[in-house]
Amino acid sequence: MPVQHELTQNLGYGIGNAICAVCQESFGVDERMVNSNGQILHERCFVCVQCFQPFPEGLFYEYDERRYCEDDFQTLFAPCCKQCGKFVIGRVIKAMQANWHPDCFRCEICNDALADSGFVKNAGRALCKKCNADEKTKKTGRYVCRKCHTYIPEGQHIMYMGEPVHPWHYNCFSCNKELDHLCRKRDTELYCLRCHDKMGTPICGACSILCVPSVKSLFMVIVIMKGKAWLTVKLTTMRYSGIKKNLSIFPKLLFGDVCFVCNKAIVGDVVNALNKCWCVQHFTCIGCSISLNLRSKFHEFDMQPLCKKCYEKMPLELKKRLKKAEQTANRK
Amino acid sequence: MSKAVRKIVEESREKGYTEIDLGDKGLSNIADIPGLTQLRNLVRLTLSHNRLTTLPESIGGLESLEYLNVFHNHIEELPMALGNLKKLRYFNAAVNRLSSLPRGLGTASGLEILDLTYNNLQKGSLPGNFSQLRALYLGDNDFETLPDDIGEFRNLQVLVLRDNELIALPKTLGNLTRLRELHLQNNRLTVLPPEMEDQIVLGPSHVFEYIKTDAYKSVYERHVESAAVPPPKREKEKNAKRSRRK
Repeated sequence: MPVQHELTQNLGYGIGNAICAVCQESFGVDERMVNSNGQILHERCFVCVQCFQPFPEGLFYEYDERRYCEDDFQTLFAPCCKQCGKFVIGRVIKAMQANWHPDCFRCEICNDALADSGFVKNAGRALCKKCNADEKTKKTGRYVCRKCHTYIPEGQHIMYMGEPVHPWHYNCFSCNKELDHLCRKRDTELYCLRCHDKMGTPICGACSILCVPSVKSLFMVIVIMKGKAWLTVKLTTMRYSGIKKNLSIFPKLLFGDVCFVCNKAIVGDVVNALNKCWCVQHFTCIGCSISLNLRSKFHEFDMQPLCKKCYEKMPLELKKRLKKAEQTANRK
Repeated sequence: MSKAVRKIVEESREKGYTEIDLGDKGLSNIADIPGLTQLRNLVRLTLSHNRLTTLPESIGGLESLEYLNVFHNHIEELPMALGNLKKLRYFNAAVNRLSSLPRGLGTASGLEILDLTYNNLQKGSLPGNFSQLRALYLGDNDFETLPDDIGEFRNLQVLVLRDNELIALPKTLGNLTRLRELHLQNNRLTVLPPEMEDQIVLGPSHVFEYIKTDAYKSVYERHVESAAVPPPKREKEKNAKRSRRK
């Protein structure tokens, strides 16, 4: 609303009989006039209608054809922040029947900014979603599902997108089965326990021990570094060799990529074929022990690889059967 | 004995190689390869696609051997000395003419993968306490029954029994809780022991759902009681097997 005014001096005869828009009186011959938005007024009349003072730096606010200085305009008309008591210029948050600076509108419990993340009204307080859930839980001792707004039986809730929900509103990202409270989150997706475990657990790049996050040990924190997962316990051992002894107490490998041949956790590339995992160097033909890869031509013999050369050397009768089995498998 | 083979062995001894590949060299006896069985550092030995009829007792001298492959030979008997190979983890004797296994093999207790596919093995020829065994391949043999001891191989993940003469499976198979692969096709089986219900969720699950039901349990009971005659042997196909021809 600020309007730049223009001081005019003695505009000559054309306006000799002009009258002031405020006091309706004519101008003296040598009197200075002010032209503001087409209105002509006395310099003494070009003042704030509230405090009758000239406008500082000529800046005024016009409201209902009346001019106010900045202070008076804000006092009379501008929204006032409920938090800091100062006027809000610019973006105004209208919430809880009051006005707020975006930066002043915060959760009453954790003090997080609410302007962009949204809020929940709880007993006259503006709370963030998480604090609201916590409050509700405190009151009733039970979580309330964000999806269906009913209570969640104790221990059955899962936290998804930061809010408690019934697990059965979601399905496993992999097998699409309805989830229960044992489900796990990996990256941003939810998986049932079975699918989660089947995906394999990362193996520590330093010590080849499985990183099992469900085992809650002080030192077992997984760190992803250089594209490999590392147990921090190993990182610590580099500094405090005294902990090294404790490594032996870790559970033996239960799942994850364990090589079929050497029975050790696979560090580096994994060949995933024939329902098994193999170290690259252990994926060999069962006949001639020659190294294979997934691009090499091999036949499946009892879910083991048999290279093409060895296959050709097999007894005719066996070859026929292998071929037939392969064809039926392909048809499926 | 070709010069090339002799050279490979000599070079390995001099340079301390841990791997030797003597596959497809037309060997008929390795006892007369000088120095082969004295390679104490040898870890991997491949002898596949030869004409070996036996392995010498002196093979026990290969103290460090972990991996032994005699795939596709004419072996009829294995030496007792195999049991002395304490480090042996992988033994492949598939496509041979074995009709029995030496008792000594049972003492090679470190074995993890044992491949005896396509031989002439029968019940009673399965010795030992292979407590470390993870994979046992017995496909294309002549087993009619399996010893109950098989339930003791607690670490077994892969068990291949396809193309045998199996009439029944031991209930102890239910103890193999780590089993991930089980091949049973082409046998003379008519029923499976319901004890396997908890362990085996490998195959088409509807089959195993069925095995869990009481209806199946009574079918199984009736079957055992009636002592029904198993389907006949498939002599014709079996005789096509090369290893059977003497």
